[in-house]
Amino acid sequence: MATEPGINMEAKIDARENPFEPYLDALKKVLEDQDPIFMIGIVVSLAVVVITVVFLKYLLSRKTVQSAVLLVGLCDSGKTLLFSRLLSGKFKKTQTSITDSSAPYKAKNERGSSWILIDLPGHDSLRPQYVEKFKSAARAMVFVVDSAIFQKEVRDVAEFLYFLLTDSVVSRNVPSLIVACNKQDITMAKSAKLIRQQLEKEMNTLRVTRSAALSAQDGSAGASVHLGKKGKDFEFSQLPMKVEFLECSARGSKGEDGEADIASLEKSLALL
Amino acid sequence: MLDFFTIFSKGGIVLWCFQGTGVTESFTGPVNALIRSVILQERSGNNSYSHDALSLKYKLDNEFELVFVVGFQKILTLTYVDKFIDDVQLHFRDRYKNELEQKGALALLNSHFAFEDDFKMLLREAEESSKARGPTSMRSFNASLKSQKTVKSMIETKGGDKGKEQGGKKNKNAKKEGKEKAAEGRTAHNNLLKWSDWNGIRHIEITYLMYLILFPSTPAAEPVKGEKAKAPTSAQKTEENGNQGLTQEEIIQKKREEFIRKRMGAPVEKPSKSPKPVKEKPKGKEKRVWTLGGSSTKELDYSQSNGNGAHAAGDQGLDAQADPGDLLAVDYDVLFKMFLSPKKGAFGGMFGMLKGLVGSKSLSQEDMEPVLDKMRDHLIAKNVAAEIASQLCDSVAKKLEGKVMGTFTTVASTVKGALQDSLVQILQPKRRVDILRDVLEARSQRRPFVITFCGVNGVGKSTNLAKISFWLIENGFTVLIAACDTFRAGAVEQLRTHQRRLNSLHPPQDHGGRPIVQLYEKGYGKDAAGIAMEAIAYARNQAFDVVLVDTAGRMQDNTPLMTALAKLIAVNMPDLVLFVGEALVGNEAVDQLVKFNQALADHSMSDKPRLIDGIVLTKFDTIDDKVGAAISMTYITGQPIVFVGTGQTYNDLRSLNARAVVGALMKA
Repeated sequence: MATEPGINMEAKIDARENPFEPYLDALKKVLEDQDPIFMIGIVVSLAVVVITVVFLKYLLSRKTVQSAVLLVGLCDSGKTLLFSRLLSGKFKKTQTSITDSSAPYKAKNERGSSWILIDLPGHDSLRPQYVEKFKSAARAMVFVVDSAIFQKEVRDVAEFLYFLLTDSVVSRNVPSLIVACNKQDITMAKSAKLIRQQLEKEMNTLRVTRSAALSAQDGSAGASVHLGKKGKDFEFSQLPMKVEFLECSARGSKGEDGEADIASLEKSLALL
Repeated sequence: MLDFFTIFSKGGIVLWCFQGTGVTESFTGPVNALIRSVILQERSGNNSYSHDALSLKYKLDNEFELVFVVGFQKILTLTYVDKFIDDVQLHFRDRYKNELEQKGALALLNSHFAFEDDFKMLLREAEESSKARGPTSMRSFNASLKSQKTVKSMIETKGGDKGKEQGGKKNKNAKKEGKEKAAEGRTAHNNLLKWSDWNGIRHIEITYLMYLILFPSTPAAEPVKGEKAKAPTSAQKTEENGNQGLTQEEIIQKKREEFIRKRMGAPVEKPSKSPKPVKEKPKGKEKRVWTLGGSSTKELDYSQSNGNGAHAAGDQGLDAQADPGDLLAVDYDVLFKMFLSPKKGAFGGMFGMLKGLVGSKSLSQEDMEPVLDKMRDHLIAKNVAAEIASQLCDSVAKKLEGKVMGTFTTVASTVKGALQDSLVQILQPKRRVDILRDVLEARSQRRPFVITFCGVNGVGKSTNLAKISFWLIENGFTVLIAACDTFRAGAVEQLRTHQRRLNSLHPPQDHGGRPIVQLYEKGYGKDAAGIAMEAIAYARNQAFDVVLVDTAGRMQDNTPLMTALAKLIAVNMPDLVLFVGEALVGNEAVDQLVKFNQALADHSMSDKPRLIDGIVLTKFDTIDDKVGAAISMTYITGQPIVFVGTGQTYNDLRSLNARAVVGALMKA
């Protein structure tokens, strides 16, 4: 009696292994039948494929890192004209950009390094998508500000700057930031120092309001990066990246045919 | 005639521009307005736009990423503009193909596009062609179809004397014009410009109508009537077209009959002079002539020949084949057809599929048609309003037409990608949305920040008002709730309950002994605008940070209530007018928003009326992924969705995440 369950068990175990056994056996036979060299060949080729895939992935991911300088800013701040002046020195009439433009730029330094200059559209509905697309490739950002109407736009400018600085990718890559106060040819233009102070004050307030903003409907919270030092007023020097404020004028003081006043900008770009 | 013409890249660089003579102001402003309101708001389905006194027409070239814009005065109606833009586009592309094909913006920046002469030539051609086309020369009578018809066919057969009478009248006309035979009695149409003949023909038209009403019409009468209706219109070019003549016939008929009666005396004997048309039996229906049919049945008899007859009949369309044997002819026919229309043949289908996968193929309207139809249905299934979905699909089609696809991308994936980008673009706010920052700004200016809630009945205005006030007091602002819903029973009590609960959550002891939420109410039946004004004044005196004005729900087509709402908003000038709409609404959303905006615009005294500034989308937890209402509302108004209500407790208030909503929308 006792053996019966044992036999049953064995039979059961056998039955369980049996479906696999014929296959395993067949496989073993096939493998043994093959030439060992053939087997080694297959293994080697598989290994090569795997290594190539890994290598390619590494290579491709390296390429997208940090080879571009982005021209960002609000709508009508002069990004496209600045783009044209930097690349060709010519004055071109511009309209509101709908897509990005990119071109290789040769920096004016001894090394003659060249990287890609990308001009992103500044319109509110397009801004987030394009920043999303290009932020990982940025090694520096030129934030163009319209100095003439800065007082009216200070909250919008600060909000965009805040959005850029608290982005997770940006705070990880830490690209250097150049704030170009454009349109200095207009008499009412504010100076770079004043713009810097106003922006610092505004960002201070924004830190509070943005962190209190509502979370999105699917539960994802806003940016959790805190700018600057807690407890102290915000200053641009507290940021982990290099920040520089400079003045420039893409139109130039002599009108359309004259030279643009972008010497300081070109110098900063050369230092990148 | 044109004010300006610009060609610029989508990246913003103007490649070439032309300014008409005498035009001083720059076109940058209007073109920017065109870009912002049409192209960026995905309304590109309709390709013209008007800005102040200018009318702008544009065309997108998606292959080389260019935009062509022409502007002219709105009062002029230039007929050649559409074709002109197309011509200029083709010309420009052909001429500067090399520069445009290069990737990167350097080519565009460095090259100088000297397009002046070509443009002037094209403009001259376009203007001349429009002038030449102006007065279309009338067909001579012999060239018209009318001359092919016999008089007999136009005579009514039923009712003998009526026919004779009409025949008589027709004869009268014939004798009046010419000395020709009866067959040329139709020369009545030669001198259509003569008022008398016009008169006579119209009388015949009228009599025909009467006849048709009294007796069932024969087929011959219809085309005749149509012809006659057409002929006077083309001849006269007056406001009296055939339709109008028909409707006014009762009025004019009496006068006409009088006139005819005067002339009736003369032509009464006429029928006797030319009896032929009257006596001859009307032919009735003419035999239809088939172009390939031949005229005798002898041709259809193939019993004699060995296939020569078949050749003669069947190979009329093909030039080449001369070999005998009808089997070859049939094969040739089939092959010929296959090569002529590769799309329909078997070979063509295979190649087409492969071509679609590999290599650069530019998108055309027919390629995108099936995919767009599917996407439109998908959007409508996801609760996007029907007209919005079709406008969106048209806009995407315009954006993608002519675009060159990369390798291994299908039409469907390109279209879906473009549609997704457009949807995200629509949902992105076009201005900064940060209520807390604005409240701080208002506080620094020592005035309260006023938010007004409006919407139809039962969407959740009072509930969401309570949620928003909870959020505000959590951030340390003092809130005054103005109960301007003086109509609904229990509205004031509801708000009072909310006030009590909120105060218990944030007791006054924490905030310097002052209750953080207060209710300003004046009971029921009073004027809402007056209560709002008093509430705002009270808030200013007591230094409240925010005033939330709750209004009664009203249907969008209830004119007196809409007037009352518009008055409330116009008088009190709130900082933010929020339209509360529920996410369950479908096509109604369009109607609601349009009518609310219309009412606000109509009843405001100033020339810059306060319209809806933002949208609160409520009951978002009741829809799974049928989130189309968000798209409909933002598309119609162009304003952002400021809050999303996801439940009925105080914590259920969210902001909109555009990417998540579009993801849910595009999910299958």
